[in-house]
Amino acid sequence: MTKQTADHRHLLGAPIRDRILDEVRTYVDAAGQMGKIVSIAIDGTAEVEVYIRNQARIAAKVGLDFDQQIWPRDITQNVCKTRIQQMNDDPSVLGIIIQRPLPSHINIRSLQSAVHPLKDIEGMNPASIGNIVYSDIALVPCTAAASVEMIKATGLTLAGLEVVMIGHSEIVGRPAAMMLMAEGATVTICHHMTRSVAMHSRRADVVLVAVGSPHFIGPDMIKPGAAVIDIGINQITTDDGTSRIVGDVDTAAVTEVAGWITPVPGGVGPVTVAVLMRNAVIAHQRQRQSGWRT
Amino acid sequence: MSAQIIDGKAFAATVRQKVAAKVSELKTAHGITPGLAVVLVGTDPASQVYVRSKGKQTVQVGMNSFEHKLDADTSEDVLLDLIDSLNADPAVHGILVQLPLPGHLDETLVINRIAPEKDVDGFHIANVGLLGTGQKSMVPCTPLGCLLMLRDYHGSLSGKNAVVIGRSNIVGKPMAQLLLNDSCTVTIAHSRTADLPDVVRRADIVVAAVGRPEMVPGDWIKPGATVIDVGINRIDIEDGKTKLVGDVAYESCAAVAGAITPVPGGVGPMTIACLLANTVTACCRINNLTDGEDFLS
Repeated sequence: MTKQTADHRHLLGAPIRDRILDEVRTYVDAAGQMGKIVSIAIDGTAEVEVYIRNQARIAAKVGLDFDQQIWPRDITQNVCKTRIQQMNDDPSVLGIIIQRPLPSHINIRSLQSAVHPLKDIEGMNPASIGNIVYSDIALVPCTAAASVEMIKATGLTLAGLEVVMIGHSEIVGRPAAMMLMAEGATVTICHHMTRSVAMHSRRADVVLVAVGSPHFIGPDMIKPGAAVIDIGINQITTDDGTSRIVGDVDTAAVTEVAGWITPVPGGVGPVTVAVLMRNAVIAHQRQRQSGWRT
Repeated sequence: MSAQIIDGKAFAATVRQKVAAKVSELKTAHGITPGLAVVLVGTDPASQVYVRSKGKQTVQVGMNSFEHKLDADTSEDVLLDLIDSLNADPAVHGILVQLPLPGHLDETLVINRIAPEKDVDGFHIANVGLLGTGQKSMVPCTPLGCLLMLRDYHGSLSGKNAVVIGRSNIVGKPMAQLLLNDSCTVTIAHSRTADLPDVVRRADIVVAAVGRPEMVPGDWIKPGATVIDVGINRIDIEDGKTKLVGDVAYESCAAVAGAITPVPGGVGPMTIACLLANTVTACCRINNLTDGEDFLS
């Protein structure tokens, strides 16, 4: 990991993460026993281990129980589904995370639909997404919500803001667009079939990018003073043979044009895990409102 | 006037023919008659007209129509019980609860009680989420009608700049999702949009769904663009007479646009045609006949 040099134009995730985690910690302390977060991974998908470890560490920090389950590689779809349904009925389970990727014989969407909407702390159940479309912003996909938090941290007023979202994935681009629209922004969604991304991005007050392509956004694509939210996480090999993590934005060059830019790493990423924990709190509140908990 | 007029009335008739052909195939090949249940609570005159029209067209294409008319003071429990029984009824493939409901009934609760696979209006939260993530779902009728007309006129919509004006749950939001699924670059403009004329002028496709008479003038339209007018507004003209107009100023927009839907006779007739199509789609899916559900193309 390269050292992040301090730059006032850099919009850092750490302070936003810490603020959210403080709020979560306060709630957890007052709530007492809340039940546990269950993380489901399937054996052999080792690349997610670092990621899960980080979630477990943050959960411990805010006082939430985190049950890290690893299911066998040859588990069937039906068994997965049955186990998830049992967790839906189990009051000791607060929320469920299905770690990606999964083996190819498992249909992830079907499992996400099996998670009860009140335990869907990843915001991946179609009903959770439907609620976002209908502007009921409760359990939201974490990366999308983290991106919105970053924009809010600039102090810009979202109503009437021209926002260009580059990337239309169901996990990030689409829900982020819907959330920003609910806040009154005029949102344009670009993707791989867009004829000229620059034509759209150059007029935007805020550009979010989640395409998974290093240096996709250069300084010529950004209006001077705009906020640039870099959601990409790409591993690249540098000339000296070492590998490092970069986003979708040519950060050094774009920093000279942008009003705000989120660095990678250290921008959206840290906030994502904090939003996951906040979702656990929201799930707890909603489960109480629904009479599941006292 | 230069724009080609997109004739919704004629296009809706073609859709109904395809629906009728599919219904007849389902009957002869599988012994299944698709059925649509419409629930009307109260005596709102406009709703009564819609429900009558839906019932008539349902029967015309060879499907079964089940009408349930309930008193305005019907309790929520009675309504929910009816929906439960329709959900369980194998002769019913589509359920439509006519909106708006009387004030004492919770619309969200009622709509979400409908089994998602029978939700032919596409308003159930699960269908909204499936559409929002590009998955197979039931699609709201009015935006589906707009999409079919756009596909028919353009062929592929891929790469086109589309601007949807209005962010309603019924039209604007699902329209944007459908255009995204067809690979348009989509902008959703609305009352808070700072420079609406500028946003609209970029569009190859404009869908206006705001419910404000003639608010989009011709000089907002890029020459050659396609204009879909979802608005139906009744305005006063001289001598106490009224007429129906859309959300776009028809004369001035038609002078600039490449193609335009008139009001009336554009989007309007497509809505019920798509409701019938959705009922057949639901019937195919419920009976695991999904190979045949693509009958509209």
